[in-house]
Amino acid sequence: MNFGFSPEQEALRKEVLAFIKENLTPGVIAEVEGEEQEVSAGEESAGRKGLARRGPHLSELYRRIGARGWLGITYPKEYGGQGGDRISQYIVEEEFARVGIRVGLVGSGAPAILAAGTEEQKRDFIPRLISGEYSFALGFTEPHAGADLANLRCRAVRDGDEYVINGQKIYTTAAHVATHIYLMARTNTEVPKHDGISIFIFPMDTAGITVRPLVTIQNNPKAPVGTTYGAARTNEVFFDNVRVPKSALLGGENKGWRVGSTGLNLDRVGASRYLISVRRDEDIVNWLKENRHEGNSLGDDPAIRDKIAEMWIEAQVCRLMTMRSMSIVERGGNFTYEGSAEKVWAPEHGTRITEAITQMLGPYGQLMNGSPRTIEKGIFGHNVLGSFQSGINHGSVQIMRDQVARRGLGLPSQRKAQGARK
Amino acid sequence: MDVLLTEEEMMVRTSARQFLERECPTTLVREMEEDSKGYPPALWQKAAELGWQGMSLPERYGGQELPLVFLGLVLQEAGRAVAPLPLHSTVTAALTIAQHAEEKLCEAILPGVAQGKTVLTYAVTELDGRTFADTVQTQAVAEGNQFVINGTKLFVDNFVAADHMLVACRTAPGSRGNSGLSLFLVDTKSPGISHTPLVTLARDKQSEVLFRNVRVAKGNLIGTLNEGAPIIESMLERGAVLLCAQMVGAARKDAEMAIEYAKYREAFGQPIGAFQSLQHMCADQIIWIDGGELLTFEALWLMDQGLPASVEVSQAKAFCNEKCEIAVRHSQSIHGGIGFMMEFDLHLWFRRVSAWSMKLGTTYEHRARIAHALIDLPGRVVLGRPVPVVAEA
Repeated sequence: MNFGFSPEQEALRKEVLAFIKENLTPGVIAEVEGEEQEVSAGEESAGRKGLARRGPHLSELYRRIGARGWLGITYPKEYGGQGGDRISQYIVEEEFARVGIRVGLVGSGAPAILAAGTEEQKRDFIPRLISGEYSFALGFTEPHAGADLANLRCRAVRDGDEYVINGQKIYTTAAHVATHIYLMARTNTEVPKHDGISIFIFPMDTAGITVRPLVTIQNNPKAPVGTTYGAARTNEVFFDNVRVPKSALLGGENKGWRVGSTGLNLDRVGASRYLISVRRDEDIVNWLKENRHEGNSLGDDPAIRDKIAEMWIEAQVCRLMTMRSMSIVERGGNFTYEGSAEKVWAPEHGTRITEAITQMLGPYGQLMNGSPRTIEKGIFGHNVLGSFQSGINHGSVQIMRDQVARRGLGLPSQRKAQGARK
Repeated sequence: MDVLLTEEEMMVRTSARQFLERECPTTLVREMEEDSKGYPPALWQKAAELGWQGMSLPERYGGQELPLVFLGLVLQEAGRAVAPLPLHSTVTAALTIAQHAEEKLCEAILPGVAQGKTVLTYAVTELDGRTFADTVQTQAVAEGNQFVINGTKLFVDNFVAADHMLVACRTAPGSRGNSGLSLFLVDTKSPGISHTPLVTLARDKQSEVLFRNVRVAKGNLIGTLNEGAPIIESMLERGAVLLCAQMVGAARKDAEMAIEYAKYREAFGQPIGAFQSLQHMCADQIIWIDGGELLTFEALWLMDQGLPASVEVSQAKAFCNEKCEIAVRHSQSIHGGIGFMMEFDLHLWFRRVSAWSMKLGTTYEHRARIAHALIDLPGRVVLGRPVPVVAEA
């Protein structure tokens, strides 16, 4: 057991912090906040290339981050990575995420491409995902297929050297800015549902794609930077006779279920999941400290102090579970249940601390961004609406508990009631 | 950063587990609940041959000088087997002697500990019931070459088995709180000591110990006169985190029994473990126990590095108190009526985990310590960095 970082890793963290201090200019901050403002009025749009999504300051920042070798640290050098270790990557991800800059490839589809892609796909996509030239929207969920994802209906039919795609996806975060979609579609309806699914990657400006924005509850009014999923505008995406070449297929026809699961566990956990679950703990402790005055301040209240400590301990468990996941990955192992356990504990903690804070701040907790008298721009009020979302997306906490019980503990599946449909 | 066990750590754990599975059946655990001393000397001797008592003691006293993490792994297994050994109280006192007592005292006591000849305990808590030393009232007054101790200690673990105990006393007359305290090594057979056994939830051996003009040599003072508070505190902290290791070991075994039971007990035509309501209880049990284990071993690891660990100890104990308790209660629920029966073994774990959650610091006592470090001491807190905040160099 080793709960510390190596001197090299500590030095890396210092280097990253110094870099951030030097490079997080007002111009960059304005562009980060601008990204979060990207809630448009509900107009439909054709899919478009999101190449212009970064302003000049952010583009320059990413160029500098890349020059330091901090993008795609764990990816092989031949595909634009650094061939480095997962813990170093975690450190870089954590420190940048703390200031709202995303440097990891979590949620990018890159792990699956590395595992199942053709050489051409690896050379095309991975370096460009690392540099930020490409970004993927993940086209998984459908109106009738959420937790039961394998029930998806979006259809891809082979036609010569092409596939023709028809159907709908929903909650497709970033579909309005992504350059490509990483799509799960049904290619065979005659076989058990898990065996008839394929994955396709193709540009968002392919003809026949329509993106319709969905505005989320915590972002109305506009959520302050740092709100859990505050930046996330999401979308519905419609596919109307979308023609893609067969080279868009990732990992073979009808192999999509297995390909899609590759790396998904690591998508659920890691620096960003950890941070969205625990940032409010830091916020409230620091706020209580900075608002201490003679006599009767909130930080003196024994009930509040007890709750603060309880929540802080829970947050430490979030951190340690993240460290456990990183340790497993760094050793080259696979999760049996550990990623799922983390995906139960961290999101539920994020909700508990959010709700505990409302009972510390009382009526101030309801003030939203833009109101007079807000504390921290209303982040705590916005978070009441946003924090629980972390327990729903990427596998709800209920599904995660099923996985802990069945994969981790070997508990059996429930027998179907007689006459129930498969 | 690698929070998983190394091969060497895995080996220590496996060999301890195999040893106790062989040597410590639940029949022995039940037998010792009725025994006057509460432990089997033969097993204690075998544990010494494996080096358990001296695991983290210096080599010059016959110890192995291994990190506390290894001792934690052994105590975790002792908890898993609910082994009726006075191991926790002995190592808690012995480590304090090794760290703070003068050479002569160490030489007199520690080799016997490592050889399995000596049992130790500690006596801090009094009628007040709280763990930390600021509540101590027992007095020790200097008289010639001796100190004379008067007072009452409560919840003294394994007093009936112990040869010596570390006793926290107030040595500065009229002092309060953490000032004016000292720690003494006292022979449990000294004239003037009497005890009354307590009847406890865990059916373990705890006593109320009365000190009436008990004389100890000045040389039995541990550390500096009137400045014993930090020594007592570090003893209690080490004791608390080692008890956490024992708790998570016991709670995990207890949860595993419930999970196995759920796989074959049938209701409504299928194993009850196929129902999601039960599966989610089991998942929570493991998530909580894993959390307690991670917190515990992080605290032990920090101690091994010589880094501050007070907050981390309190994190572990406050969390284990609550979560291990709910976990073992879940196991009782999953077992239904059978878990409520004396003849069924499950209660051996349930009763001990519950009792351990109440000693060496309650959830509230430990959270108060954490809140103090978080809120009252200066600097902006960041998760993953030290609390109390260390100023950047």
